[in-house]
Amino acid sequence: MAIEKVEYWRWTESNWKNPDIPDWHGSLITAGVDIGSTSTQAVILADGVPYAYSNMRTGSNSPDSAISAINWAMKDTGLTLEDITYTIGTGYGRVNVPFSNKTVTEITCHAKGANYIYGPTVRTILDMGGQDCKAIHCDEKGTVTSFMMNDKCAAGTGRGMEVIANLLAVSVEDIGELSFKVDEEPAPVSSTCVIFAKSEATKLMRSGWTKEKVLAAYCHAMALRVVRLLERNGMELDFAITGGIAKNVGVTRRIENIMGIKALTPTMDTQIAGALGAALIAKELVEKKRAKEG
Amino acid sequence: MSYEKLFETNISSESVKAWKASGKKAIGYVCCHVPTEILLAADIMPVRLRATNCVDSSDAEAWMSSFSCSYARSILQYLMNGTYELDGLVQSDGCMMATRILDNWEHISKKNGKSQFIHQIGAPRITNDYTIGYYKTELKDLADKLGEFSGTKVTDEALKAAVAKTNEVRSLIAQLFELRKEAKVSGTEALRIMLAYCDLTIDEYIAALKEFLADAKNRKPIEARARLMIIGSALDNPEYIKVIEDKGGLVVADALCFGARAFGDQLVIDDKDVLGSIAKYYLTRNTCPRSLDNRPAIHKEIVETCKEYNVQGVIYEKMQNCECWGGEAYYLEPDLKNVGVPMLQVEREEQMANAGQLAIRAEAFVEMIEK
Repeated sequence: MAIEKVEYWRWTESNWKNPDIPDWHGSLITAGVDIGSTSTQAVILADGVPYAYSNMRTGSNSPDSAISAINWAMKDTGLTLEDITYTIGTGYGRVNVPFSNKTVTEITCHAKGANYIYGPTVRTILDMGGQDCKAIHCDEKGTVTSFMMNDKCAAGTGRGMEVIANLLAVSVEDIGELSFKVDEEPAPVSSTCVIFAKSEATKLMRSGWTKEKVLAAYCHAMALRVVRLLERNGMELDFAITGGIAKNVGVTRRIENIMGIKALTPTMDTQIAGALGAALIAKELVEKKRAKEG
Repeated sequence: MSYEKLFETNISSESVKAWKASGKKAIGYVCCHVPTEILLAADIMPVRLRATNCVDSSDAEAWMSSFSCSYARSILQYLMNGTYELDGLVQSDGCMMATRILDNWEHISKKNGKSQFIHQIGAPRITNDYTIGYYKTELKDLADKLGEFSGTKVTDEALKAAVAKTNEVRSLIAQLFELRKEAKVSGTEALRIMLAYCDLTIDEYIAALKEFLADAKNRKPIEARARLMIIGSALDNPEYIKVIEDKGGLVVADALCFGARAFGDQLVIDDKDVLGSIAKYYLTRNTCPRSLDNRPAIHKEIVETCKEYNVQGVIYEKMQNCECWGGEAYYLEPDLKNVGVPMLQVEREEQMANAGQLAIRAEAFVEMIEK
């Protein structure tokens, strides 16, 4: 009998269309496509307001991922690529967006996107992506004033969380809640390397730890790791978290507890912050150009 | 145009071979606390050792731990694998990591029956009359031993002639920096040109640099999104700066020991104490924060350079395990902030394994500071 293979790391892909915008015709349409190491998002704005987006896994071919993401975002909207006035590519695969007019780094885009999602009071942003995390400071306009990225390691990132999900046979989307089902918060796993953390988790399971306790130890370690990054770059309130890990309360609440602060509550999917920022910058550039041309 | 050799990034042994073919000696040195004037006065070709484009330091790793400085380790690799075929090695105790090059090379060369002139000089980490006096005795000892080795005694006259030549180089490098200020020479080009000084004879270098400067002054300024300064650990890889400049920055100034810091102002000789003048010059110039009492002066110079060169942002590159530049950012960043210049910190290794990580940081930094 064949054993069914379950991909515990797989998170829910989604697309969305703004029900409050019945018709985009006559609007300035701009787009942002964020090709990350793990996920790709496309956001379409109509006059600077989110009109549609998609959020999916990045495939092995970045240009294909960009096309798939924008097509999925445009689904049922009647839009075609020709209707989009300006597109900005961002993320590690930003140079591989075949239909983009310009590329901007995800650091700049996340600050702009977080400014839209959380409002102009945001000063510190923690973006926890698929294979890196960034501490970003910005001003009231969402312009970056300083930033710091983690180095050379997937620990403390989405990919690390996916590895643990598969190891423990727990859906990656359930990790956060499950990690609180412990009598007492365990010590964090000691290793900051995903591979060694995986070995350590295996050892803990063998020694009788429950899955929940291992998850708590792993989320705790991940939180500690990003807190160090935040402290190095300096913490200024208000504070917001973007990226896929922002959806994992096991990590976000622990970051809040360690730092003794509360992160702002998101008003939309935090994973689209980069693509949203790119689309917003695209709109600014078009408006600037139009103003120049009179 | 015969100045192409200024742009040869790979370590070139052509000049060394030609020099040695005439029966003279060529000696490597590490760290810019070794006054090249003394080697020149002994009729020895000084070759500043560097590790540019070293992609594999596995032989050297048997002698120096992988937790040591990869720049120092890669130089040892180049000595071991024959990239450098020299008559010896002179080194100051500039930093602890680089000092291990000498220790290991002395042992390895002896073990392999390779005859080498090996000498280390002590360069004090504080500057006062007493330490300058000590450093002078170290230089005197070096001069005597080099004279004995080469058969050309180091005299005051020979030292003065050498200083005249190195001062000419300093003056040409100052002109190069004027062109950088005018954005006529990129940071990548500038580092290539300054690295060429490591491998060429001083006469070849002066001739080539003069030609280049005559050509370059007619260039149009390079358009860039942001004017940058690069500071930090020993950087002998122009490709590193190219990654930054490919992202829209223009590195118009530096505080690097393979860059501006290796050359400095004119060396003024007091005829009554020629070696003393050299000792004072080398110990008092603000080369790197290895010294215990010159760090505020180095920070001030960096801030002043930012103002003079209209720098919009500083990139602080720190070699992993770098003893000298390990903690300067903590003190320097507030000084730069006071004059409105943001700083980006990046860690690196000698081997360019992290070009992508540097590129994203450089690009985001340029986006942050461009006007």
